[in-house]
Amino acid sequence: MVAPALRCEGITKAFQGVHAVNGAEFAVPEGQITALIGPNGAGKTTVVNILSGAMKADHGQMFLGETETTGWPSYKIARHGLLRTFQLSRELGGLTVLENLLTAAPSQAGDSLVNVLLRPGLIRRQEREHAERALHLLEVYGLYRHRDTPARELSGGQKKLLEIARAVMGSPKVLLLDEPMAGVNPALIDVLGGYILGLKEDGVTVLMIEHNLNVVERICDYVIVLAEGRTLATGRLSELRQNTEVVKAYLGEVMDVSAAN
Amino acid sequence: MAYYIFTLVFFLFDYFILAMGLNIQYGITGILNFAYIGFVAIGAYVTGVAGLPANVPGQHYILGLGLPFPLNTLLGGLAAMALAVLVALITLRRLRTDYLAIVLISLSLVFYDFCNNYVSLFNGADGLYNVPAPYAKSLGLGVNSFIIFFACLTGVVALIMWFVMHRVLRAPLGRTLRAIRDDHVAAAALGKNTFRMQLKSMMIGSFFAGIGGGLLIQFGGSFNPTAWLPGETFVVFAVLIVGGAGNNVGMFVGALLVETLLIHLPAFLPDIPGHPGLIEYFDLALVGVVLMLMLWFRPQGIVPERLRRSASFGAPERLDEEAGRLDQTAAIAAGVGIEQADHDTGNGR
Repeated sequence: MVAPALRCEGITKAFQGVHAVNGAEFAVPEGQITALIGPNGAGKTTVVNILSGAMKADHGQMFLGETETTGWPSYKIARHGLLRTFQLSRELGGLTVLENLLTAAPSQAGDSLVNVLLRPGLIRRQEREHAERALHLLEVYGLYRHRDTPARELSGGQKKLLEIARAVMGSPKVLLLDEPMAGVNPALIDVLGGYILGLKEDGVTVLMIEHNLNVVERICDYVIVLAEGRTLATGRLSELRQNTEVVKAYLGEVMDVSAAN
Repeated sequence: MAYYIFTLVFFLFDYFILAMGLNIQYGITGILNFAYIGFVAIGAYVTGVAGLPANVPGQHYILGLGLPFPLNTLLGGLAAMALAVLVALITLRRLRTDYLAIVLISLSLVFYDFCNNYVSLFNGADGLYNVPAPYAKSLGLGVNSFIIFFACLTGVVALIMWFVMHRVLRAPLGRTLRAIRDDHVAAAALGKNTFRMQLKSMMIGSFFAGIGGGLLIQFGGSFNPTAWLPGETFVVFAVLIVGGAGNNVGMFVGALLVETLLIHLPAFLPDIPGHPGLIEYFDLALVGVVLMLMLWFRPQGIVPERLRRSASFGAPERLDEEAGRLDQTAAIAAGVGIEQADHDTGNGR
C-alpha cells in the first residue's frame, strides 16, 4: 500500500456515555481517493470531525503524514494541509463568493495588524495574487458569474461547489469531504465526481464520506467501512463485496435498497 | 451659539470614534460587547489620571503623571486595550453569542461597582474633575474658544482613526473577522485562529473606546460613574444599529442621528411651556423607540454593510464568454437547465 497521508489509531469518542466512535483505526493512502462508508450512526462524521480538529477524541492518536496531530485545534490542522467540507454547507454567508475563497488562502500577511498598518503594498500584492487564483478556481468550479454574490444567496448545489472550491483554495494535501453528493441532483453528481478525480490528478489525497456506492465504485480507489464506531474492513470495493461481515453490516442493506429501486 | 454647535460637533465626532470601536467588535466580528461603556470609562479615567498632576487636594487617584495631550489620551486607549485582553482571556476562550453577552454585562457591573466604591482608584463616586484642558493655557483659550478648538481637534483624531479602521476592515484582517462572525467553525477549518483574531478585534475596538473616553473627559474636564451607567452601552449600540452595523460611514450617520440629534440637541431646544426639561428627560426613551423601529423595519441600518466587488482586488477579469461556458456547471448546480444557461450567456446561438 502507498504511504499513508492520514492515519488514526484507537480513536474513541463518547457522548454522555454513548460511544459514537469506539477504537476506529485506519490509514488513508497518499494521492488516492478513499471512501469512508458505513451505516447511519457508524461514527463517520464524528471521525471526520476528530481528524479535522473540530472535535477532540477521548482516546487515540492521529497523524498527518509523519506529524502527530492528536489534540491539535482545527486551525492548526488546516494550516498543516488538511482541509475539509461539511455535511451541511457552512458557507460564510455575509461574504461574497470570491471573499469566501480569499479567506481560505494560506498564510495571509494581511491577517496581521502590524502588516495592515505598515505594509499595505505587500498586502495589496498578495491580495491581487490570491484574487487571481480564486477567480481561476471559480471559473473551474463554475461559480465565476456569482463571484460578487453574497454566499448565503447561492443554491444548495452551488454551496457544495463553493465549499469544495474554498477548501481547494487552501492548497490542501489532504481533503476531507463529508457527503459531498448528499442532496445534489444527478447531473451535478457527475460533475462533482469529475472535480474530485481532478483533485487526485493534482496530487491531493481525498477522504470522502459517501453513501452512493455507484460513486464509490466509479471514483474511489480504496474503501474504509465503519460500523458501530469501529473499522470493520478496508480494501477495494470489489474485495469488500466478498466480505460477508461488510455485506451484512452495510453493503447488503444498501444493495437491497438499490435492488428495490 | 458657537458653543452649542461645537458641543454637538464634539459629540458627533466622539461617538463616531466610539461607534467605530463597537462596530469592529459587534458589527464585524459578532462579539456582543454589552460592557463596551466600561472600556470607554477606563479610557476616560486613565486619561484623566495620566493628565492630572500628583496630589490634587480633595481627589484620590492612582498615577497622577501630569502628561500632556496626546500622551495621556494614548495611555487611556492602551489601558482600555489592556482591559480588553484581560476580559477576552476570561470570556472568549469558552463563550460566544448570548452567554458571552451575559458574562460581559456581569463584568461591566463588577467593574462599575469597583470604580464607584474603591475611592483611591479614580476618586470613587465623585469621579475625577479639573482634568486639564489640552492646549487651553498655551493657546490662551477661553471657555467658548476651547470648545471650538477641542471639537475640531476631536474631528482630526476621528479622521485619523477612521483612516486606520478603514484600512483594517478592507484588509484580509477585516475579512477574517467577518468570516468568524458568519461561521466560526468554518473559519477555524480554513486555518483561522478564531480566538486570536477575536482578541485582536476586542483590542482594536477597545482602543477606540479608550480614545473616545479620553476625549470625553478632557472635553468636559470631569468624569464620574453617572456618566457611564451600564445602560449607556445601548446608546452606542443604537448609533451602530441606526447607522448600519458593519459600515464606517453608517457609524457617522448613526452618531449624527442618535448621539447628536436625539441625545444632545434636545438639551439646547427651548422648553415646552409648563414642562421644563421634558424633552431632555425623554431622550433615552426616544432612543429606545428609534432602536426598536429600526430593528423592526430596517435591521441593516441606514447605510448597510457594503460588500467588496471582485474588480477592486486588481486581478484581471475573465473573459465573459469563457466564464459563461464554465458557468454551465453553476447552472446545473442551481437546478437550471443547460439550455437556459446557454441562452443567458449567448453561447447557445
